[in-house]
Amino acid sequence: MTDSSSDCTCEDEYVFYRNRPHWKDVTPVPQDDGPVPVVAIAYTEQFREIYDYFRAILRSGEKSERVLELTNDAAQLNPANYTVWQYRREVLSYLNSNLGDELVYIGEIITDHQKNYQVWHHRRVIVEWMKDPSKEIPFTNIILAQDSKNYHAWQHRQWVVATYNLYDSELEFVNDLLLKDVRNNSAWNHRYFVIIHTSGFTADTIKHELEYTAGKIREVVNNESAWNYLRGVLCHTESGNISSEEFVLKFCEDLYETGCRSPYLLALIVDICEELFELGTSNTVFSVQRALQICDDLALEHDKIRKEYWKFISRKINQALLNRSTD
Amino acid sequence: MDFNQKKHARYFLRLLNVLPSHASNYDSTRLLVCFFAVSGLDLLDELDQLTPEKKDHIREWVYHLLVQAKNSDGEDVVARSGFQGASTLILPPATGTVCHSVPYACGHVSMTYTGLGTLLILGDDLSRINRKVVAAGVRACQQPDGSFCATLAGSECDMRFVYSAAAVCYILKDWSGMDKGLATDYILQSLSYDNAFAQGPGLESHGGHTFCAVASLSLMGTLHTMLSTKQLDRLRRWCIMRQESGFNGRPNKPVDTCYSFWVGATLKILDCYDLINKSENRNFTLATQDNITGGFAKWISTDVEPLHTYFALAGLSLLKEPGLIQIHPELNLSQRAVEHLHKLHLQWACN
Repeated sequence: MTDSSSDCTCEDEYVFYRNRPHWKDVTPVPQDDGPVPVVAIAYTEQFREIYDYFRAILRSGEKSERVLELTNDAAQLNPANYTVWQYRREVLSYLNSNLGDELVYIGEIITDHQKNYQVWHHRRVIVEWMKDPSKEIPFTNIILAQDSKNYHAWQHRQWVVATYNLYDSELEFVNDLLLKDVRNNSAWNHRYFVIIHTSGFTADTIKHELEYTAGKIREVVNNESAWNYLRGVLCHTESGNISSEEFVLKFCEDLYETGCRSPYLLALIVDICEELFELGTSNTVFSVQRALQICDDLALEHDKIRKEYWKFISRKINQALLNRSTD
Repeated sequence: MDFNQKKHARYFLRLLNVLPSHASNYDSTRLLVCFFAVSGLDLLDELDQLTPEKKDHIREWVYHLLVQAKNSDGEDVVARSGFQGASTLILPPATGTVCHSVPYACGHVSMTYTGLGTLLILGDDLSRINRKVVAAGVRACQQPDGSFCATLAGSECDMRFVYSAAAVCYILKDWSGMDKGLATDYILQSLSYDNAFAQGPGLESHGGHTFCAVASLSLMGTLHTMLSTKQLDRLRRWCIMRQESGFNGRPNKPVDTCYSFWVGATLKILDCYDLINKSENRNFTLATQDNITGGFAKWISTDVEPLHTYFALAGLSLLKEPGLIQIHPELNLSQRAVEHLHKLHLQWACN
């Protein structure tokens, strides 16, 4: 392939399309921006010319190596133009181009524009065409090493893993990421994604995951991601209740006894107390009175930014108490 | 800290004129920038800064971007109906063909939403819109899994375009633009284990996509039937937990001005916006304001840009900041524009 990104990046050497002998036969087509343009852009001469040629090609329908070069230049100047990518794909398909080369090329573009939807979409289509996902895990590893929460990279990885059944090493990958940063919410989400599509949340898996997560919470208690995951696992117990696992009740109580007042711990205790009350199985440790007390503690001391919210939860619980007593 | 209303109005007025060459990455989404500027001026109650002539120019330019089949056109042409994001693909007529003859000139669901929104804010009656045809253009973007792609000219499919499609259907008062049941399935499939919504099934829950999901259900009128009381309570919890000073979009991510709208509007739709800490949210947002050029940034001490400027104002509107008019949380348009829309709906019902 003859893509040369240098055409665009080195102003000194740049040769305008109108001065390129092999483009002499094409008459550029100007943009029709209506009688009075709004939100106009002061295009550079280079931008204007490249898109004038791109419009000419859309009109003629030419599909050739030189058009691939043109789409490269157009995409470099605005990688968010989905039509440029779409047309490029049509040319690749028509020329039966080497898709391995295209994958390398789009990898470079993504590296420069990691949060652009269109370039990730292009990569996905190329992978689909090749029916070869072998480069994708290593590629997303590189992007995630730079930003471990990049939504596009995660989306691409989950698509590849699910489509080509590549779950085998994913849990290990998640474990490594959580060792590096236990607060990485994307990694916790991926953990859930992998388990639900492989072993599923069997009784053994639930036990293992609760213990693993409890260990991670002990390392860093103020970590919403781990607490959310713990609740996510509890949804898969037989009853689906957050109060259903003795292990979790004891874990919460131990943390509380040792002086932990993380808002996420306190919130879970409130929810457990409320749930047991609804189920009619309150006990002296997880009582509705304790839930009310903890709501006050959260509002006044441990989670002041959510003061109004905890007062609201407290009112809600009081209302439930009232309804119960008038039943 | 003071809210610098006049400077923000001037910022938007500048956007409507000429952007510098380094803004070329906005070239395919100029309509979106136009929407931010016009809707931003509306929220600031400064639409009168636009002369009647300028308003006409904007309206004409927006209509210039409309790809709209005629009733006699074939199905494939109807499917491409909607607003384009810019005139990049609009070619001057060649040898007598119409200017939209290039098959790549194609509506984009989110641009159709922002195009219609811009027209409504400017008081247009949408009489030049063939509502059936534009709805069919939206419908053509729906996928078998219920999601929407942005455009038939090759794009990814996800929750953002489900929202845009729902907003267009609501505005056109024509739900033939989507299979609601299928769209609802996709939304519910995207509900994560931590009780908020992701861009698609299995992905990480996210403030922006949660807005898209919740606002879509609300526009469909099914929010309280499709989600149980418990699910709604848990969703409220997730949203309320996003506040640190301003709001973040995911657990353990930094706060960012745009989530004051995405998460704030979601809480408003869920009837519990008053439970947030308003002064902390306001202080964070105003700390990202540029007092010299106007505009807001994503984070404190970073550069202002159109999207964050607009959503910072939208977030402040939810807070009822003096000087701003109220925003309709689902449609992300001023209440005034939505009242105008509802009057049009009554007229359409009578015709």
